[in-house]
Amino acid sequence: MTLAESTPALEEEQPRGSTLGRYLAWKGGGAAISLVMVVVLGFFAFRVLPGDPAINLTRGRRVSAAEVERLREELGLNDPLPWQFVSYLGDLLRGDLGVSYVYNRSVGALILEGLGPTVLLTGSAALVSIVLGLWLGQKAAWTRGSLFDRSQTGLALVFWSVPTFWLGLILLLVFSGGFGWFPSGGMVTAGTDLRGLALVLDVAHHLVLPVLTMVAVVYAQYLMVMRASVLEEMTSDYLTTARAKGLREDLVRTRHAVPNALLPTVTLIFLTIGGLVGGAVTVETVFSWPGLGYLTFQGLSAPDLPLLQGTFVVFSSIVIVMNFVAELVYRVLDPRLRSS
Amino acid sequence: MTAPASPVSVVRARRRARAAGLWREFVATRSGLVGLLVLAVVIVLALLAPLLVPIETLDVTRVTAGINEPPSAAHPLGTDPSGRDVLGMLLWGARVSLLVGFSATAVSMLIGTAVGMAAGHFSGLTQAVIMRVIDFFLVVPSLVLAIVLSAVLSRGLWTIVIAIGVTSWAATARVVRSQTLTIEARPYIERARALGGGHLHVLGRHVLPAVMPLVLANTTLTVGSAVIAESTLSFLGLGDATQFSWGSMLKRALDTGAATAGFWWFVLPPGLAIVLVVLCFTLVGRALEAVLNPTLRGR
Amino acid sequence: MGSSMVRRVRGAMGVLVAAVLALGVLVAPAPASAEPAAAPRIKVALTSDIDTFNPFLAILASSTDILRFQYEPLVVWGPDNEIAPGLAESWESSEDARTWTFTVPEGRLWSDGQPLTSDDVAWTFQQVIDNDALQQANGGLVENVESVTAPDPQTVQIQLTAPQASNPGAELPIVPRHVWEGVDAATYANDTDTVGSGPFVIESATTGQSVEMAANPHFWRGAPKVSGITWVVYRNSDAAVQGLRAGEIDVLNGLTPAQFQSLEGQPGITTNSGAGRRYQSIAINPGAIDAEGNPMGDGNPALRDPVLREAIFTAIDRQALLDTVRQGLGVPGQTEVPSVYADYFGFAPGYQAWPFDPAAANQMLDEAGYERGPDGIRLDQDGEPLRLRLMGRNTDASHQQMADFIGPWLADIGIATDVMMVQPNQVNDDSTLGNYDLYFTGWGIGPDPDFQLSINTCASRPNADGSGATSENNWCSPEFDELYAAQHAELDPGRRAELVKEAFSVLYAAAVNMPIYYADTLEAYRSDRFTGFVTQPTEGGVILSQNAYWGLYGAEPVVAEEAGAEDGGLPAGAWVAIAVVVVAGAAGVLIAIRRRGGADDRE
Repeated sequence: MTLAESTPALEEEQPRGSTLGRYLAWKGGGAAISLVMVVVLGFFAFRVLPGDPAINLTRGRRVSAAEVERLREELGLNDPLPWQFVSYLGDLLRGDLGVSYVYNRSVGALILEGLGPTVLLTGSAALVSIVLGLWLGQKAAWTRGSLFDRSQTGLALVFWSVPTFWLGLILLLVFSGGFGWFPSGGMVTAGTDLRGLALVLDVAHHLVLPVLTMVAVVYAQYLMVMRASVLEEMTSDYLTTARAKGLREDLVRTRHAVPNALLPTVTLIFLTIGGLVGGAVTVETVFSWPGLGYLTFQGLSAPDLPLLQGTFVVFSSIVIVMNFVAELVYRVLDPRLRSS
Repeated sequence: MTAPASPVSVVRARRRARAAGLWREFVATRSGLVGLLVLAVVIVLALLAPLLVPIETLDVTRVTAGINEPPSAAHPLGTDPSGRDVLGMLLWGARVSLLVGFSATAVSMLIGTAVGMAAGHFSGLTQAVIMRVIDFFLVVPSLVLAIVLSAVLSRGLWTIVIAIGVTSWAATARVVRSQTLTIEARPYIERARALGGGHLHVLGRHVLPAVMPLVLANTTLTVGSAVIAESTLSFLGLGDATQFSWGSMLKRALDTGAATAGFWWFVLPPGLAIVLVVLCFTLVGRALEAVLNPTLRGR
Repeated sequence: MGSSMVRRVRGAMGVLVAAVLALGVLVAPAPASAEPAAAPRIKVALTSDIDTFNPFLAILASSTDILRFQYEPLVVWGPDNEIAPGLAESWESSEDARTWTFTVPEGRLWSDGQPLTSDDVAWTFQQVIDNDALQQANGGLVENVESVTAPDPQTVQIQLTAPQASNPGAELPIVPRHVWEGVDAATYANDTDTVGSGPFVIESATTGQSVEMAANPHFWRGAPKVSGITWVVYRNSDAAVQGLRAGEIDVLNGLTPAQFQSLEGQPGITTNSGAGRRYQSIAINPGAIDAEGNPMGDGNPALRDPVLREAIFTAIDRQALLDTVRQGLGVPGQTEVPSVYADYFGFAPGYQAWPFDPAAANQMLDEAGYERGPDGIRLDQDGEPLRLRLMGRNTDASHQQMADFIGPWLADIGIATDVMMVQPNQVNDDSTLGNYDLYFTGWGIGPDPDFQLSINTCASRPNADGSGATSENNWCSPEFDELYAAQHAELDPGRRAELVKEAFSVLYAAAVNMPIYYADTLEAYRSDRFTGFVTQPTEGGVILSQNAYWGLYGAEPVVAEEAGAEDGGLPAGAWVAIAVVVVAGAAGVLIAIRRRGGADDRE
């Protein structure tokens, strides 16, 4: 993910003047193809991982050759690959993601458990960084060249250049180990039985450092795009017209420039969700957050094929759906597209 | 600059004049110039590392310093858990980190440019297929894919280069595609086609030179991302620990508990070096983009 | 919509910032150490993964460590790794070591108050024997078992297929029949309100977060003095150390030497360097052979020469590696049995460790005819330069640290190395298939050495595709196999120990695997809150990850003074200082950017 000031505008691939229904079908079809590719890649990519799961699962224990063989049989590793793929597809269509080799539990259940914390973490981080980035971005654009503009842009770029795990670790050492303001890891305080508001506060307390880490690293891209977008609006003719009509400067900004400038950022917001979810892997590791990212990483060590396939498909689906939503929102919001 | 030599000297002269103009504009964006200067210093230091810090001095069987020594006159940034000079490792680390950054970017750029141009140039089914592939790589969480790739390929620095390169080209491809569309709509491309220019001729002679400036700006931004990606993969244990890269230094610092023990001289410098270099690439890339991307002109 | 929307956004933004700030201030003064007045639970960091709490399926070390508190076997490993009473108070074996009889005393109860009898034992054994699906974790323990019977509620009789010196009642966790009979044992999660026989039983578990264990009031040695154990998941050892400093957890293991030393002398914290159960070694591929007797793998053929292998080991300084990688916290390696098991540790008479002597190594190679080539690298019999691959795990920092030393050492004796750190799976695969020259390995060893020996017998060689048995070193010899068989059936402990040492010494002398060191397990605990931990072994042993439950079972709360959770001293302060410096530095950079940045945004 690079920090580009120009938003990759969604390009029209379908014939002009299509109806919303056809548009939906076109985009939905694209998303569906991507999903199929994810499923196929998810299956075959992990098969080529080094490591025979049966050997790795039994490593270092007193097992007989017959037992290893039985395990291979049980895991379905002895079936021909195409057959494994067909049965995987069949299970997937029924919503069955298989049983994790390592955890002996349904992958669906494991993913559901991890999904909540991951969505909470990335969702909070996305919300904070979007609000922060957009607000700073429009302010910076409006006061272009000022101390505020230069310091905020500079600071955002510095944070954007920091490796996430390193920043997280330093924040952990300073604010948890040093000052003792925040807990050293996890999502709730272990060994307590909190309910209601107390639980919410406890989770929020645990959420601060990981969210802060993620926000610091990603808010720059929202700031930059918003700043560029507002700058573009500021030079457009209709603002001159608005000013000529005698509109006050702050009204020009809040009524016209900012709302219009928000449009291109919508695309970016949805497109970056994928990066955020991927970035959760390191943050979850540093802050012992019980989410999906860490689960994926653990899955590599067996290798736990059903778990890896499951998390890969779920991760990618989230992003594909987000992108689909981005297209729809863009379509609905953009007056030029809407009128056609 | 990057424009390939043209047989027509007039064109060459015109291009040279344009490059000079762009350079003046680039210099005028001081942050880009500062970034470029700092990068130049870092690259020179990296190239000179074998002279400044002979590799023998980093041979753990020959070091005389104690382990985890705090900074001193002899070791301005202290020593690592094997008694090696951290400053020396940092210089050698610059070589590897930059090498990974540049190589991964080269891979990413090659794929991105080729696929992007193809997506813009061809139409119909070919285009639809290429677009799906681009979308797919845009959509798949790149870190997750990179983790899988580096696990599959399993050894060496080039694994990391490939893992980063293969997962980071899609954004470039998109930018290149839209630029290609713009360019191919221009009349002189029509003329070239009418004169019997094939796909390769049109793409290589006309489209490629025109998209190169944009690719260059994009590339500069990608190098920074690749340097960070290298450190992230190292942190996750998927880097090449046999090399001194800034990422593997950080990994080693964390694995040996240097952070908790308060050995800041081993934890902070590699991280700060990454921040500095990535920031510089970002500043240069932004400046280049502002100069080269017509739609961003005047901002 | 314009202005109202922006105002709303701005308002929301303000609320968010305020909320984040308020959280820091509001919640911070309520530290996690606010415990109820009753006997506290002890909080233990859990730094590696849990697979399942089903004792028939649990494989990962963290899971089996936790289950040791929950289910007693017939006999347990005592505080000094001796066989001690568990469910059975006494036991005896027949003359031919094929029939073992155990006595479960009357009045034993499960944690739910139900009687615990020999019937539970026989039922558990029978489940594992009969049901393939339940053999995942402990199938190997019943391999030699012919039958298990409970002639009366107090007696268990285990009939073995072949004589066996090691106690067949050790290790296998016995589960309550009245609970497990009614469930599908192969899928039962066993993580909520469980019933057990050990000092603590699992109350609840949240994946990736924590495991709650409650004290078992019916534990036959007496209820524990703490009310339970809370295992707190950490995925980052630095975070766990911060948690210990802040009082969020009470006990922690798996520290690095640097972390360990930074905790030494901290107020309220006591460190413990316990003798480890693992050997760390470097292995050489002597030419792997599969079960059919055919060569397998791509090991360098030159390594089939024992002189070359001996020379390599003679060029490696184990003490230096121990001093650097573990900062001296451990014992230099001898045979594969770590020093913690005094009975089996060390060499048989007539054997000794390879000394560190590069000159001697060079001489050995010179005499064996390995000429040095023009670049100083020796040539093998075919005139090819000796270039060996050295493989390690990329997840273990110590492997790379050791490789940094071993490369130059081997260069000194004219051998070039290509170091590669790869995924653990890859190491497992390549070592099983014989696709290596040199690699770093290491095993955790149980109190009984039988298993470790068994994986070096000729019968343990894998099939050509790597399936089947696992050979630890891809080496075997008839002499070793004889010693293995002899110790396996030797009932006299003294005589068996001699045979075991002899067998491990023969393996060592084959120069296929040189243990470098037995690293100490580094632990720390809040001594201002808990005391009374029983280490295993009692002298210089470990608190956590024992072969039994003594460590945390012995824990008792410190009552005299309720010491607050004191923060760490110097390092914490140092980090705060660093934060200040970093912030100041960032400010400096900003100012610099501001000064220079005038033309950044051209009009």
